[in-house]
Amino acid sequence: MHLAWGEAEETFRADLLAFLDGHAPAEARVRRDFAGNVRAGGDGSLIPQWARDWQATLFDHGWMIPGYPPELGGRNATPVQTLVYLEEMANLGIPRSVHFPGYAIVAPTLLDFGTPAQQSLAPAAIRGDTVWCIGMSEPNAGSDLAGLSTRAVLDGDNFVINGQKVWTSYAMDAQLCCCYVRTDPDAPKHKGISMLIVDMSTPGIEVRPLHHLTGGADFAEVFFTDVVVPRENLVGELHDGWRLTQGSLAHERAGLWVESVARLEQSIAGLIELASIMGVADDPVVRRRIGEASQRATSLRALGYKGFTSFAQGSSAPEHSYLKLASSELGKALFELGMEIQGPYGTVIDEERSPDAGRWVLGLFVSFANTIAGGSSEIQRNIIAQRVLGLPRS
Amino acid sequence: MDFALTEDQELLRESTRALLAAECPTTLVRAHIDDVAAAAPLWVHLRSFSELGVGPTVDLCLFMEELGFVCAPSPFLASAVLAAAVLAAIGSDQLPSVLSGEQTATLALAGPEGSWVLNDGPFKSFVPDAASVDIVLAVASDGVVSRLEVPEVRRLEMIDPSRPLYDVRVDGVSTSLGVISSDALSRVVSRATVALAAEMVGTARRLFAMSLDYAKDRVQFGVPIGSFQAIQHKLADMSLDVERAWSAVYYAAMTIDADDPDRARAVHVAKAAAGEAAKRAAKDGIQIHGGIGYTWEHDLHLFMRRAFGAESLLGTTGWHHDRLADLLMSDG
Repeated sequence: MHLAWGEAEETFRADLLAFLDGHAPAEARVRRDFAGNVRAGGDGSLIPQWARDWQATLFDHGWMIPGYPPELGGRNATPVQTLVYLEEMANLGIPRSVHFPGYAIVAPTLLDFGTPAQQSLAPAAIRGDTVWCIGMSEPNAGSDLAGLSTRAVLDGDNFVINGQKVWTSYAMDAQLCCCYVRTDPDAPKHKGISMLIVDMSTPGIEVRPLHHLTGGADFAEVFFTDVVVPRENLVGELHDGWRLTQGSLAHERAGLWVESVARLEQSIAGLIELASIMGVADDPVVRRRIGEASQRATSLRALGYKGFTSFAQGSSAPEHSYLKLASSELGKALFELGMEIQGPYGTVIDEERSPDAGRWVLGLFVSFANTIAGGSSEIQRNIIAQRVLGLPRS
Repeated sequence: MDFALTEDQELLRESTRALLAAECPTTLVRAHIDDVAAAAPLWVHLRSFSELGVGPTVDLCLFMEELGFVCAPSPFLASAVLAAAVLAAIGSDQLPSVLSGEQTATLALAGPEGSWVLNDGPFKSFVPDAASVDIVLAVASDGVVSRLEVPEVRRLEMIDPSRPLYDVRVDGVSTSLGVISSDALSRVVSRATVALAAEMVGTARRLFAMSLDYAKDRVQFGVPIGSFQAIQHKLADMSLDVERAWSAVYYAAMTIDADDPDRARAVHVAKAAAGEAAKRAAKDGIQIHGGIGYTWEHDLHLFMRRAFGAESLLGTTGWHHDRLADLLMSDG
């Protein structure tokens, strides 16, 4: 056991910091929390021009996905170097992209399962030149994703899709969609799903922005009516799409917690500032709760590094579910603590009267996305119980 | 930050585990409740590990974790961790006999209010194993470390009988051995705090393991109770707390061994995270066991007692959270 990384990692860190110093635009250095996202929602494109330029710059310099080779926006970084990269980006609060589906999920899936023609779509997805969305959740397929019912029928050389997706991030901006469809309604539910690449400009597709509980809209509902998709857009084998849902940046998964933990630490720094502004920095109850929050964030960070150690040793680490569960729940608790510290001003979102324009209450509202999306806290506990602890399915 | 154990550390853990599985059954823990001498045969084995008390903190924690897993009644914390470190800090000639395990020792430091800092009260409290060790060391408010010639002790009845604690009068006849600086003393207490946190993680791990096994075996309504989501989610939360506390403890151990600037913070995080894990494992563990867990006959309460007892020793969870706030909000 040791604290420090080696010399090669520190050189890598220095190279990254020098690059960021020289290239990161001012907009990328503005720390964004959940409330910031809320206010950006709803007014036009969710992907501003500076973010498009920045993602392309990262790609061109090999800093988009460091673990990939240069032609895919990387520099063949080792797993530890990748962790160093994620650490620094998270600590500085610099995003590499404001739309994750393309680089984080679609590109790795195409590279792993696609035909050569489909694989050739990956660089543009990673560089952000094409915007992707992923058609997964449906009104009746949320936690039970394998229960999806959007239907694709093979008709000659084409599939014809009918159905509806929901919670589809960036669908309003997307040119392409990785869409999970039911191709065999008679097979057991996990065995009748296929994945198709769908051009979002195809006739029969209707995208309706989905306003969430704060009024913002970064998701959409997507309706498919007799949408014709060429057969060659099938990714992987027919009816074998469920396996593809597991695809994401496997080599980065062991480090993705870093950003969540960095956000928690930034929230705690914000709470300390807030306690001082509100004149309760000497209140023993406030102090104890801030100390408790700090303990929980720090112990999570330690757990993240422990999980990374197992990953680097080649064992499949269960820490991912622990970190997802604990960081999303702690995040929610911190926003609520912020509201408590503000007392009667906890629910004021008036920019002139609230010291921080409702950062904490809006953050609390939006934080439910983290305890629901990507496997709700309850699903995470099921996964831990059944896959990690070996308890029988109910 | 790399949590991988070296081969030697793996070996230490495995050999300690094997030794304690054979030498510290719960029958011994129960026998010790009525007669502290019942744990003497265990000490014959444990004393040879005393040098861990002044060695790398990570190794010490690996050993302590296993002691916690079996709820070992032993003067290891008192002698090898607390007293030996004080003797080492003052360069006392008493050190070799304690490190060899030939003699046992303990440290009288905390006052009756339970804070482990320099104080000049006429009696100290929460002194572990004071009636059974060979040497009782007392620290005065000026840092003078002395050996009490005829310690006058009174057992403090605690919920956890596996670690006997005592009130000790320190104004009797004593022999001065040297002076410890408050900085050196705080290092001794920090290290002992992390070692105790490691022990608590071991105890939490045991409570969790017993509860997980029980949930898989116990059948109600025709199915194992571990198939019910209400039970599954409790176990998921317990295991999360154990995992994060384990990580926090070894992070703190690494910061101590590296003399890292984050060490003060890391120690508070470790003890508080271990406190949360141990209490949750105890409470949810009993709840998952249902009626059988409520009996004297079942071993669960031995570990629950140990978990609660350790949580309140060397700073409660809340106390450590307060110290964290002090470090974070120094200009508050």
